[in-house]
Amino acid sequence: MNVKNTVLELLEEICQTDVVKENLDIELFEEGLLDSFGTVSLLVGIEEKLGIHVGISEFDREQWSTPNKIISILENWA
Amino acid sequence: MELYAKIRKWSQSKPDAIAVISNGAQLTYSELEQYSNSLSAFISEKMNENKAPIIVYGHMEPLMLVCFLAAVKSGRAYIPIDASIPEERVKKIINDSGATVFLSPGSVPTSLLSDGRFIVMDHHDINEAIALYKGAEPSSEQFVKDDENFYIIYTSGSTGNPKGVQITYNNLTSFIDWMVSDFGLRENQRFLNQAPFSFDLSVMDLYPCLYLGGTLWTISKDLIVNPKQLFESLRKSNIHVWTSTPSFVEMCLMDPQFSAEMLPYMETFLFCGEMLPNETARKLKTRFPNAVIYNTYGPTEATVAVTSVEINDEILNEYPSLPVGIPKKDVEIFIIDEKGNELNEGEKGEIVIAGKSVSKGYFNNEELTQKSFFFYRNQPAYKTGDVGYIKNGWLFCAGRLDFQIKLNGYRMEIEEIEVQLRKLSLVESAVIVPIYKDNKCQYLMAVVVPKAHSFEKEYQLTAHLKKELQQLLPAYMIPKKFVYVSSLPMTNNGKADRKQIANEVGV
Repeated sequence: MNVKNTVLELLEEICQTDVVKENLDIELFEEGLLDSFGTVSLLVGIEEKLGIHVGISEFDREQWSTPNKIISILENWA
Repeated sequence: MELYAKIRKWSQSKPDAIAVISNGAQLTYSELEQYSNSLSAFISEKMNENKAPIIVYGHMEPLMLVCFLAAVKSGRAYIPIDASIPEERVKKIINDSGATVFLSPGSVPTSLLSDGRFIVMDHHDINEAIALYKGAEPSSEQFVKDDENFYIIYTSGSTGNPKGVQITYNNLTSFIDWMVSDFGLRENQRFLNQAPFSFDLSVMDLYPCLYLGGTLWTISKDLIVNPKQLFESLRKSNIHVWTSTPSFVEMCLMDPQFSAEMLPYMETFLFCGEMLPNETARKLKTRFPNAVIYNTYGPTEATVAVTSVEINDEILNEYPSLPVGIPKKDVEIFIIDEKGNELNEGEKGEIVIAGKSVSKGYFNNEELTQKSFFFYRNQPAYKTGDVGYIKNGWLFCAGRLDFQIKLNGYRMEIEEIEVQLRKLSLVESAVIVPIYKDNKCQYLMAVVVPKAHSFEKEYQLTAHLKKELQQLLPAYMIPKKFVYVSSLPMTNNGKADRKQIANEVGV
């Protein structure tokens, strides 16, 4: 499954806005689109849809701050 | 006067024991006792006859505890305000409470600095006052006692203004007595504090901890937004007692590392603030086989919590929706219908709490107080607005009578959000629709009729409205989703038709 599309679909659902698809460099936390509870939903979604398990303790807010950054981390997930 | 005496006792019997640790900063029992004595002497001298409550503003700084105790030792109630509360709302609380002293161990909101009406003290000023009055011993005669207000916590109000719940020394004492006798807590334990001090869930760990000579380990909002650091902090905490909302523990359970291996001393989990899902309690039992889990229930107006139940396997298997328990011994619970008649076991109605935990009412607001507080069988009583029923002796909660909701453990009136939203210059009218999944509010949706605006795309308008709302409301009250419509359907009596609106936007 395509990582990019999956992440964008997830983000659209969690953030409840399609802006995440229009601007892949939007700062999700600064713009108030994602909070810690949204983060949890995102990680659950990633595990369900992509089979990648990211422990919440591995989640670093700085490194996961935009749709592009999230996609890049997951595309390079070993 | 036992709470004061206990803290004093710890300051003498184990002066170097740590009372609180917050982000690396800490305070011993002897410092807590001496600093609060000194600051209280300063307040008494400065304020003289002015007995108005004192605002303590910050985010979990150890000095906040000094400020709380200094206020009550000077005979004044304190109002805890978390630093995440926007300045506009802080001003409303200042105006409503008539407070003239603003103690700010963290950073001071800039707009308050220039306001000459009150004394604003940052942590330098507070430390100076403490140094100036070193060795002062305030007389216990002036301490807040009996029916005097100990703290006032502001909570969301449907009119658009927050309202202050008055909790007396007697209310708090009754709560502490229950906590230290019914939950297997012991002296010298380490307690987790996750809730900001402006949320009374924090009272569930703060005062039992100080009473028992324990150590409070705080989890600040910076940690909560960065799970990596949160888990590092938890690993170092060595806590025995956990107090949080179910939502917060659910977030921690997401990571398999969150287990008895990570927190080897865990003995007691205390939950309050929202419904505890059966599934969450089960997971927790698997991860922490030796810990005991308590579910509790109570509104701020009845001092944190008034019912409790230990969640064991029998209860987990018997009740898919968990009970909230039985009342503490000096409180009675009644279920009433809309005419005020008591209902039988099994029948759903409004939960009424009567007894020693019940607040005097809302500060400086007789009208709101009269609506919800009354005397029932010669005891002070509070109509909670919560719907519930009793089954096999256990109390169960089943929603609300009004538009109050819980989102991630935060209590709010959706009407308050609507009042603020409708004030914005680009909003013609608006309604807030809470979106539920599995009986739990997941997020808030704003349905807005916008005025003419120059934004090209809807998301730009949304970003603009959210920014404006952030000046007026705490982050947890800001709707996640915005939907734009050309008009809002009305009911026959001219109110926005919430059901119809929810249908139209496809919820």
